Amino acid sequence: MSLDTRTTRTGPAAVKTPRATSPHPAYQKRMRLADSLQILCVASVAIVIAIFLADGGAAKFATPADAFTSLGIIAGLVGTDLLLVMLVLAARLPPIDRAFGHDQAMAVHQSLGKPALYLILGHAALLITGYALAENVNVFAEVWNMFTSLPDMPLAFLGLALMIGVVITSLVVVRRKFRYEAWHAVHLLAYLSVLVAIPHQLSVGNLLSEGAIARYYWLALYVAVAGAIIVFRFLLPVTRSLRHRLVVDRVDAVAPGVVSITLTGHQLDKLRATSGQFFVWRFWANGLWWQAHPFSLSSAPSERGLRITVRGLGDASQQLPQLKRGTRVSFEGPYGLFTENARTSPRVVLVAAGIGVAPIRSLLETVSFAPGNATVLLRSHSLGDTYLVDELTDLCRVRGAELRIIAGKRPKGVSTWLPADAARAGITLRKIVPELLDSDIYICGPRPWTDAVVRDARAGGVPKKQIHYERFDW
Amino acid sequence: MRARAVALAALASVSIVGIGWQLGSQAIDASHSLALSAVRTDPAAVADAAAAAATSAASATAAAQSGTFTGSVVATRFGNMQVSVTIDASTITDITALQLTNHDGRSVQISNRAAPILRSEVLAAQSASVQNVSGATYTTDGYLQSLQSALDSAGF
Repeated sequence: MSLDTRTTRTGPAAVKTPRATSPHPAYQKRMRLADSLQILCVASVAIVIAIFLADGGAAKFATPADAFTSLGIIAGLVGTDLLLVMLVLAARLPPIDRAFGHDQAMAVHQSLGKPALYLILGHAALLITGYALAENVNVFAEVWNMFTSLPDMPLAFLGLALMIGVVITSLVVVRRKFRYEAWHAVHLLAYLSVLVAIPHQLSVGNLLSEGAIARYYWLALYVAVAGAIIVFRFLLPVTRSLRHRLVVDRVDAVAPGVVSITLTGHQLDKLRATSGQFFVWRFWANGLWWQAHPFSLSSAPSERGLRITVRGLGDASQQLPQLKRGTRVSFEGPYGLFTENARTSPRVVLVAAGIGVAPIRSLLETVSFAPGNATVLLRSHSLGDTYLVDELTDLCRVRGAELRIIAGKRPKGVSTWLPADAARAGITLRKIVPELLDSDIYICGPRPWTDAVVRDARAGGVPKKQIHYERFDW
Repeated sequence: MRARAVALAALASVSIVGIGWQLGSQAIDASHSLALSAVRTDPAAVADAAAAAATSAASATAAAQSGTFTGSVVATRFGNMQVSVTIDASTITDITALQLTNHDGRSVQISNRAAPILRSEVLAAQSASVQNVSGATYTTDGYLQSLQSALDSAGF
């Protein structure tokens, strides 16, 4: 391992701060918000079960027909509730971003997909069976009966078909075959699927029929979810883009294929963005306008402008280095919890590899620490290979942080974040940063590498709440 | 989820489901008493039957009247039931459903299926003492109760 410890510390020697006994106040506040949101989500499922019971549902298991029907109703209620939770998680609500971070919310969204589908499929199968048993016909005749004598059933079956399509195309093996925009267009059909299923929920069953209190709760739930999606997923990004009128100001080459793009606009302080956050950008230039890219800020946001540092990889991104000055840019955001808001401890360790150095560079500018209480670790293939290294060196010198560049090829077949010789020598994060346990660790880089760093930190005894990393594969 | 959040969520869920269960027990009791009252005849129909019996006794005719008689409206949780019965020379010749449970699509489907079955059974049995249509308990109860009140007013 070639270790380049640039002596950048000109401030006082490392201040030994005592182990924080009481957690950061911001952490407490954020965790209380996170707890409340999680409790709300669980309570929403409890409410739909209570709605079923309040109608005398407990007594509706006497005959097989009744039992199938009741189970089918419960499956439909819980499945739809989970679907609404999924929609809310994807709606970019500010409290959810503040409490969990957008990437974490999308991870939960992904994990709820299959359970929700299974519940809705179960709802259909159980009710068809229950009704068929009650009317003494076979299930195919019952499906025909449903189509002809129950209102709004064709729409309900359409909703189910759309939902199956959305979930199948979201399976990792299938999703990989599509380009992102095509997959996303199909995925948005989920909104249609939920909408077309609403009529049958209100017209077929007795639980949500006219005059029942449960009907008003159900409608209020839909209105609230729809309102949240319309405002935060669609209206707010559009109005913000129009209000701030971002344009490309400069495009600076950082390395072959890597550029820093500076954007200027109006009233940028009103954006209330912080270092470490990302936006979803859309550049209005030929060949680029139809794609939206999530890129992190690579410098602290200010009234004077925003900067991102990007690698020209992938079909349209190749054209990013050719952006002309004055190109209009629309955006969604700022999003992300990879910020000072996630702090829990007095010390800071920033770990970056490749283009992951961008948010690390912006964090280094503003994240709070006493001189000597911060370490920056840059991982690269060779010594000259790290992006923005001059800026990082200057910042470390000014702020009193220690900079270390860990260069070398990664070993084949061994899962480690370090180069081959370091891995062999048994180097760990704890050995590189002795005060690791008192630190917040921010990690940004390719996914498998990030996972390896996280594993190393956990193995060193760092609690989960002190490890921060962001996923960009949603 | 943190331990604290899990505990609070569990507490909230148990409370909410408990309230639902409690409300449900009340609903179950209410529907049981409704089922019981379906066996007892409608007091208004009893009064009508008594008046009709008095007039028919006065007219000294032992045979039941002929014509179409409308039964009382029976309210069930799925909607109202009302039937009218046509009697000709001491024989029930037709029953018409005037109101069927229409609270929601499923109830409509159930009563649309059950009404013809009940009609043919009553015509065969020539009384309201017929078997319950399985899966259509509320429809059957309401139909037969309304039918019985119509028969009573006809002196059948």
